[in-house]
Amino acid sequence: MSRSVGDQRPAGGGRGAAAASFAIGVENVSKSYRLWGRRSQFATLKSALLKRDLKLEPDASVPALKKVSFVIDRGEAFGIIGRNGSGKSTLLKIISGILKPTSGRVVVSGRVAALIELGAGFHPEITGRENIYINGIMLGLTRREIDQRFDRIVEFSGIGPFIDQPVKTYSSGMYVRLGFAVAVHVDPDILLIDEVLSVGDEEFSQKCVAKIQEMKYRGVTLMFVTHQLEQVRNLCDRALWLDHGEAVAVGDPVRVVDSYLQQVAGSRTAQGVVVSATAVPAPETEAQAEENAASPRDSLEEERWGSGEVILRRVALVDDQGRELVALGAGTPVSIELDVEVRVPQDDFVFGIGIYHADGNCVYGTNTELEGFMPQHLDRDGRVRFAMRSLDLVAGSYRIDAAVHTRNGRAFDYRRGCIRFVVGARVHDIGVYRPQHHWEFEGGITFREIDLLKRNVPAPVAEYIRDNEDEPPRPKKRK
Amino acid sequence: MNELKSLYRHRQLIAALTARDLKARYRGSILGFFWSLANPLLLLSVYTLVFTVFFPQQAVKGPYPLFLFAGILPWTFFSAAVLEATTSISSNAGLIKKVMFPAEALPLVVVSSHLVHFALAMPILLAATGAFAVAHQISIHWTIALVPLLMILQTLFVAGVAMTVASASVLFRDLRDIITNLMQLGFFITPIIYLIGNIQSRPLRALLRLNPMTPFVVSYQDVLFFGHLPGLADSLLMVSYALASLALGFLVFERLRDVLAEAI
Repeated sequence: MSRSVGDQRPAGGGRGAAAASFAIGVENVSKSYRLWGRRSQFATLKSALLKRDLKLEPDASVPALKKVSFVIDRGEAFGIIGRNGSGKSTLLKIISGILKPTSGRVVVSGRVAALIELGAGFHPEITGRENIYINGIMLGLTRREIDQRFDRIVEFSGIGPFIDQPVKTYSSGMYVRLGFAVAVHVDPDILLIDEVLSVGDEEFSQKCVAKIQEMKYRGVTLMFVTHQLEQVRNLCDRALWLDHGEAVAVGDPVRVVDSYLQQVAGSRTAQGVVVSATAVPAPETEAQAEENAASPRDSLEEERWGSGEVILRRVALVDDQGRELVALGAGTPVSIELDVEVRVPQDDFVFGIGIYHADGNCVYGTNTELEGFMPQHLDRDGRVRFAMRSLDLVAGSYRIDAAVHTRNGRAFDYRRGCIRFVVGARVHDIGVYRPQHHWEFEGGITFREIDLLKRNVPAPVAEYIRDNEDEPPRPKKRK
Repeated sequence: MNELKSLYRHRQLIAALTARDLKARYRGSILGFFWSLANPLLLLSVYTLVFTVFFPQQAVKGPYPLFLFAGILPWTFFSAAVLEATTSISSNAGLIKKVMFPAEALPLVVVSSHLVHFALAMPILLAATGAFAVAHQISIHWTIALVPLLMILQTLFVAGVAMTVASASVLFRDLRDIITNLMQLGFFITPIIYLIGNIQSRPLRALLRLNPMTPFVVSYQDVLFFGHLPGLADSLLMVSYALASLALGFLVFERLRDVLAEAI
């Protein structure tokens, strides 16, 4: 099922989108809300009838969205953040088909369920059971489909015996739970969620997040509008930041959330930050951030952003003698060193590091806040060393993120992928983590000999191997 | 054509919402569904009292209450459905703004739930006719079989009007008050309590004929009370009013659909 809304239909007709590889396509969508007064009601009706438009005086309109374009792939989780009034909900309503864009085009392919207000359409006088049926039909299910799902819905909602009581007797929590339960059991291809995960108690909220993760796992395309930035970081593959109806940044959620926090903090303190933009060469300007945020997800370039009061001048992976490494053998002792330059003293700061596999999966991440270090002073330059007795990774390429930020996540300097390194190993074991281990055999189990070519090698040799990857190994060189 | 298709797609929704409306309306009231039957009976008693005791009508041959009943039921269906339709969309703003919801279902739900009330009152009318027949004041006519046909035509007509006023009153709120007053007037310019043939002035009669409810009410009286077929003119008028009203309803609704969510 495909739906296309908007003024300009695609040349070949909207139907072709059924086989589209993307779930939601938004092209140059703008939306203006018309303001119209009480006095001119009849004029409103007349113009609406004649022009299908709520136009009154030409200037009496408020732009809510300005030329927003993006594409959401099938199975992607896409977050939309921004201040109140930035157009997030309008965008969601346009995609769901509730509102019509003033100009531009939206193509949606698949069954859509929109969680804009949970339990919208519940009638207080009739029972939960009857409301489930009516709500389900409103969301596009047939009576039979609801029969099949009924028990699961009731179980998920946790309403229990109250299901046969009129909904007006429900607590607001029960109301919302029932609404969510119905909506997620519609089995949509695309789920649009507007700020509804923040309702209900902690337990149910977690249940919702778990359910949404399950849906994501099953390949449902998700689109969130939320103020809970943590959810965007954790659940989304990409994020869009809307400000005054314009798309400021699209891309990596950590990155987009951070630029957003940056701007929110910036406008809150106004001129509070003494650092001038020119005095901070390292972290990029907002414009650059935009550019980079829109670039593909796992680029090889380092991405860097932050407000610049504190800077990570150098980030390095070093061995126990302090030598910088780009390749290492599994099991070698290494440290990550951060050279910190303090431009504006801080008393709220967190140092963090993250190790990622080249495929983008996080191998490990931590920060001083998580490990309970209470910040006191950061008033002079210094060095942070994150020392590991051994870095037990299987062979592969990895990258390191390092950051210094405030406790609420606003970055002073965030360096994504600032180090890339390779772990070399002759053992073709699989996975990510390589526990230090050895094999012991007792009884009648014997092996002829150990093929030394397959044993682990020290770091300098690994570097050599990496550089000569394609050449056949020369056993003579090895012990 | 698209509209009809979407209506077919939403038939389950309309049915479910109608059932919900009916259930919700009587839940919590002691007599419950009985009110659907009692309301027309009580209304009928009041009118019978007024027009047989206070202002006796000699013009109608036969039991006056039955004549009254035949006209009041279709009129009540029309006026109650149209009046309620004016607020059907604005009182469900949550659905229009928060759910992908086919707005045209709302006035149609109103129409179908009033149709159910109308249909439930029919047995009472038939029982009353039967009672008078037993008392040999009237005989039961075969033309009663035509009532369902009239109901279908009238339902189409009412649905068109309901869709028109439902969508238009979102943008033009005064419509509800205007319609409330028009309905008061309408009751008297429709030949419900009197026979149209008894109006002496020709221009006045012509005026009454302009009222689209006139052919419907007159036809109900024809088949239920007088026991003859509806006149050809009335039949043609009913069909054209039904079609015209449906066309207008779909047209206006289609025109306003896109702005409804914004204007509510």
